[in-house]
Amino acid sequence: MASLREASPLARTTLAFVAVALVCALFADLAVTTVNPYQELVRLLAGVVTPDFYATDNLGSALAYTLAFALLGVAFGNVLGFGLALLFFSRIVRTGCAFVRAIHELFWALIFLQIFGLSPLTGILAIGIPYAGIIAKVYAEILEEADPAPLRAVPLGSGLISTFLFARLPDAWAHFRTYSMYRLECGLRSSAVLGFVGLPTLGFHLESSFSQGRYSEVSALLILFYVVIASMRLWMRKPLLPVWLVAAAAILPWGLTVSAANMLRFFTHDIVPYPLRAPGGDTLAALGDWLHLMLFEQALPGAAATIQLTMVALVATGVLTMFFFPLVSPLLLGRWARGAGHVFLVVVRSTPEYILAFVLLQLWGPSMLPAIVALSLHNGAIIGHLIGRFTETVKLRPDASRGIDRYVYEVSPRIYRPMMALLFYRWEVILRETAILGILGIATLGFYVDSAFADLRFDRALFLILITAMLNICVDAISRAIRARLRLQTTLKHR
Amino acid sequence: MMTMRIRSVAAIYAVLGALSGLLPGAGAAQAEPFVFTAIPDEDASQLRTRFDKVARYLARTLGVETRYIPVKSYAAAVTAFRNGQVQLAWFGGLSGVRARAMVPGSRALAQGAEDRAFVTYFIAHESTGLSESKSLPKEMAGKTFTFGSKGSTSGRLMPEFHIREAFGKAPEEIFSRVGFSGDHSRTLALVQTGAYQVGAVNFAVWERELKDGKIDPKRVRVIWRTPPYPDYQWTIRGDVDERYGNGFAQRVKAALLSMKDPDLLDSFPRSAFIPAENSDYEPIRKTARSLGLID
Amino acid sequence: MALIDFRDETAGYGGTAILEGITLRIEPGEKVAVVGESGAGKSTLLRLAYERCRNGAALVPQELGLVQSLTVFHNVYMGRLHRHSTWRNLRNLVRPAPAEVREVGAVLSQLRLEDKLFAAVGELSGGQQQRTAVGRALYHPGEILIADEPVSAVDEHQAREILETMNGEKRTVVLAMHDRALAIAFADRLVGLRNGRIVLDEPAAGMKPDDLDHLYRPAG
Repeated sequence: MASLREASPLARTTLAFVAVALVCALFADLAVTTVNPYQELVRLLAGVVTPDFYATDNLGSALAYTLAFALLGVAFGNVLGFGLALLFFSRIVRTGCAFVRAIHELFWALIFLQIFGLSPLTGILAIGIPYAGIIAKVYAEILEEADPAPLRAVPLGSGLISTFLFARLPDAWAHFRTYSMYRLECGLRSSAVLGFVGLPTLGFHLESSFSQGRYSEVSALLILFYVVIASMRLWMRKPLLPVWLVAAAAILPWGLTVSAANMLRFFTHDIVPYPLRAPGGDTLAALGDWLHLMLFEQALPGAAATIQLTMVALVATGVLTMFFFPLVSPLLLGRWARGAGHVFLVVVRSTPEYILAFVLLQLWGPSMLPAIVALSLHNGAIIGHLIGRFTETVKLRPDASRGIDRYVYEVSPRIYRPMMALLFYRWEVILRETAILGILGIATLGFYVDSAFADLRFDRALFLILITAMLNICVDAISRAIRARLRLQTTLKHR
Repeated sequence: MMTMRIRSVAAIYAVLGALSGLLPGAGAAQAEPFVFTAIPDEDASQLRTRFDKVARYLARTLGVETRYIPVKSYAAAVTAFRNGQVQLAWFGGLSGVRARAMVPGSRALAQGAEDRAFVTYFIAHESTGLSESKSLPKEMAGKTFTFGSKGSTSGRLMPEFHIREAFGKAPEEIFSRVGFSGDHSRTLALVQTGAYQVGAVNFAVWERELKDGKIDPKRVRVIWRTPPYPDYQWTIRGDVDERYGNGFAQRVKAALLSMKDPDLLDSFPRSAFIPAENSDYEPIRKTARSLGLID
Repeated sequence: MALIDFRDETAGYGGTAILEGITLRIEPGEKVAVVGESGAGKSTLLRLAYERCRNGAALVPQELGLVQSLTVFHNVYMGRLHRHSTWRNLRNLVRPAPAEVREVGAVLSQLRLEDKLFAAVGELSGGQQQRTAVGRALYHPGEILIADEPVSAVDEHQAREILETMNGEKRTVVLAMHDRALAIAFADRLVGLRNGRIVLDEPAAGMKPDDLDHLYRPAG
C-alpha cells in the first residue's frame, strides 16, 4: 500500500537519528553494576534533607574561589572574545575560535595545570580561553545582525572607530550584556566543576564528599551552589562589577610562582611525541609505533565510544524535551503545576552535567547508563525550558482541543521545528561533554586523556585532545549542514 | 546610561591591566615559605587535617614558614614538585620515581618503616565466594575489578604486575569490567558494597580501617597478599639548599626521621620514618617500565 | 555651480530600474520638494542625490537611522562625528563635554526637545524620534539638507515649525513630502515623480494642492 504522502525531510532526519541511536544503544554497556543502588539512593536523599554546612573545611574559601574564577574567567573571555569578534571577518580568527571552543574547560584546565601549576592563571585561562572562542562567535553574529540604518545616517568621513562606537556598538551592547550574564552562569558551573581536577573550588570538596558518601556535606555544597546561581541577578549589578572584579583578583593566591622555564619546557619538550625526543634508536620506526598505539588503541576506540554515547544521549535529550516542556507551558498546565515544573527544570539545568553524571555513577556504577541519563536530563531541561517559553508566544484558537489531544495536535507540531533546531545546536555541546565524562571512568576519549595526564605523558594527552577537538569541529559542521538543509533556524539563542 | 556602561568597560580593562602588572611581581616573592604536598591516596577531605599537623611540626622543627597544599591527583603532586611550586612531597613508589626522573638532583629522604616491605591486598566481596589463597586465585577471571588511582603503586602498578604475571594477559582481557576508583578508601567502599567484586588496596589503609571498624569482615575479605616491595617516601628537590640555606635538605631529613608523635605518624599511617635512597626504588622503576607506564 | 546635476540618470536596485531618464539640476539656495505617490521613486531620488553630494549633505532618512540605546544628545552629536577626532568622540560618548551639550541643547530647543536631552531614544515617541533625527541633520555642518518625509510623524503645527527651522538653518533643502499643501508652502520649487520619471518641475509659488492631482491619479 502506497503511503499517502512522502515523509517530510525533517521526519526522515528524525527517523535516521533515532535509528542510529538505537543501533548505538544496542551495543552500549547499560548495566547497573552496583549491588544495591536503591539503598545508596536512600542514603543520598537522607543526606539531601539534612545538609551540614559545617562539615567541610574551607567552605567559605571554596565558594569565594568558585566566584573569583568564574568572574575573572568570564571577564577575560569577554574582553578577548569581543576583540576577536571585531576580527571575525578573518578566516584565521574564525578557525582559531572554532578550535579553542572545541576543547572543553576541563581539558584546558588539565593543560594549564601543567604550565602554570596551581596558580590562579590556570583557572582563569581554563574558563577564559574557550569562552573567548564562544563569545567571539556570538558577538560577531550580534554585530552582524545589528540594525544597519544608523550606519547610513553617519556623516561621510566619520572614521571607522567613531562610526563603530556610535552607530554599531550601543545597540549591540544590550545583547552583549544579556549574553554575558548567561555566560557568567555557565562560568559558575564551569568553575565549580574545575574543582574535580584540583582547583580549590566547590567541586574539589564535592568530589571528596561524594566519593566518601558524606551526603549531608554534598547537600550543603549543592545548596550553596544553587543559591549563588539563583541569586546572581541580585548581586551582579552593573555598578558593582568593578568591585567584584577587584575583590576576585584580590582573594586569589597569586603567590605561587609561575616560571617561564616551565612554560618553555611544556611547549618544546613535554608535548613533543616521545619517540622524537627519546635518545638514540630508530626514531622513524618508533614514531610509527607510537602513532599506531595512539590511534588504534586509544584514539579510535575512544572516539567510537564518544560518538556512540553522544548519539544515544542526543536522541534521549529529544525524548526528554518532549516530556519536559509541557511542565512549564501555559498551554498545557495551570499556574501552580507550572511553578513546580519551573523549580524542577531550574535545578536540573543548573546542575552541571558532569556533577549529575558523577552522582549517578556513584549510585549505579560505571557504565554508559549514568552518562546518558545525566546528559539527557541536563540538556532536556535546558531545551525544555526554552521550548516552554516559546509556547508562551503561541496563540491557540479559543475552541482548541484540550489535554492529550491538544499536546499531540496543537502544540507538538508547532514546537517540533524549533526543538529540532535547538537539539542540533546542542549536539556539539553534548559531544564535548561526553568526551569529558571519560574522566569519570567511562571509556570515551576523556578516559584516555585522563590516563595520559595521570601517567604524566603530555604528548599523548595533547594528541588525544586534538583528536577530540577535530571530532567536535566535524560534528559542528555536520550539524550546520543539516540545519541549513532542513532550514532549521531559531531566534532562541542558547548555547 | 551609555555613559555608565562605557565606564564599567573602562573599569574592566583597568582591572585586567592591573592584574597583568601583578603577575611578574608574583614570581619574585620575598622570604618564600617552604611548601610541600602529598599524593591524595586516601579520603581527600581528610588530607588537610592530616597534613596541616605535619606542616606545623615541620615549621616548628625547621624554623621556616611551612605550608601544605592539597592536590587532587597523583599527577598533580608530581607536576607541582616538578614546577617547583612544592619543594618536598610525600610520594608513592611510582609517583616518586616519576618525580625524580623529571627533576634532576631531587632525592628520596625518608620512608616509613613499613615502606621497605609494602604489600597490596587483593580483596573480594563475599558474594564471589573467593577466600584467601597462597597464589592469585584464578577464579577472579570474569569478575569485575577495580584498581585505586591510575598513578598508584600499591593500587595500580603492583597489582597489575602480578595480574599479568599470573594470567599472562592484560587486566581488560581477564575481568568483565576494570575500573579506577581513585583512592584506597574508595576501593574499599566499592568492594564492600559490591559495586566491584574484586579490588586491590594498600595494606596499611586496610589495616587501619579494620582497626577503626570501618570494614565489615562478613562482606569483604582479603583473598591474596602480594610479595613485599618498596613504596612511599619523602622526596625533596635538589635546589632547596640554595633557596633555604646550606644543609637545609639534611635538616628536613633529620626532622622527618625524628618525628615521634604517634598522632602525627598515625595520619600516614606509619610507625616511624627511616632513611631512604633513590636506589631503593629501582625495582619499582623497572616494573613500571615493563608495564609501559613510564617511557 | 550646481550642487546636483543629473543628466538622463537611471537608478534602481539589483537590476530593476526605479528611476529612468532623470535630468535634474539643483543650485545652491534652492528649497526643493519632491512629490509623488508612494513607490514613485522619491526615496531613490533622494538617496541618489545624497550619494552625489560628496562634500557633505545632512541627511534625514525615512527610517531615521537612530541608535536606539543612545541618548538624544549622542544621536544629535553624531551629526558632527566627522568633524572631531576619534578621541574627542570617545570622550563625548563616555562623558559629554559642556561645550557640546550647550550646542546640542541649542539645536534641540529649536525643535522643542531640550527636556529630552539625556533620554534614551528608544524610550521616545515616534514624533520625538523624528525630531531627534532632524536635530542630527541640523547639527550637521553641511549647507545642504536632504530629508525624506521628515515631518510624517508630527502634527501639522509642529511640522510647520520644523520645516521653518530647516529652511532657516540650511541654505539648500531637498525634501520628499507626501503632504501637498506643506510642500507648496515651504518649497520654492516642486519636482513631481510618477513611475520613476520626472513629470513636473515648476516653481511652487501660486500652485494649489489640486494642481498636483495628476501625479496621484490612477494611470490611464
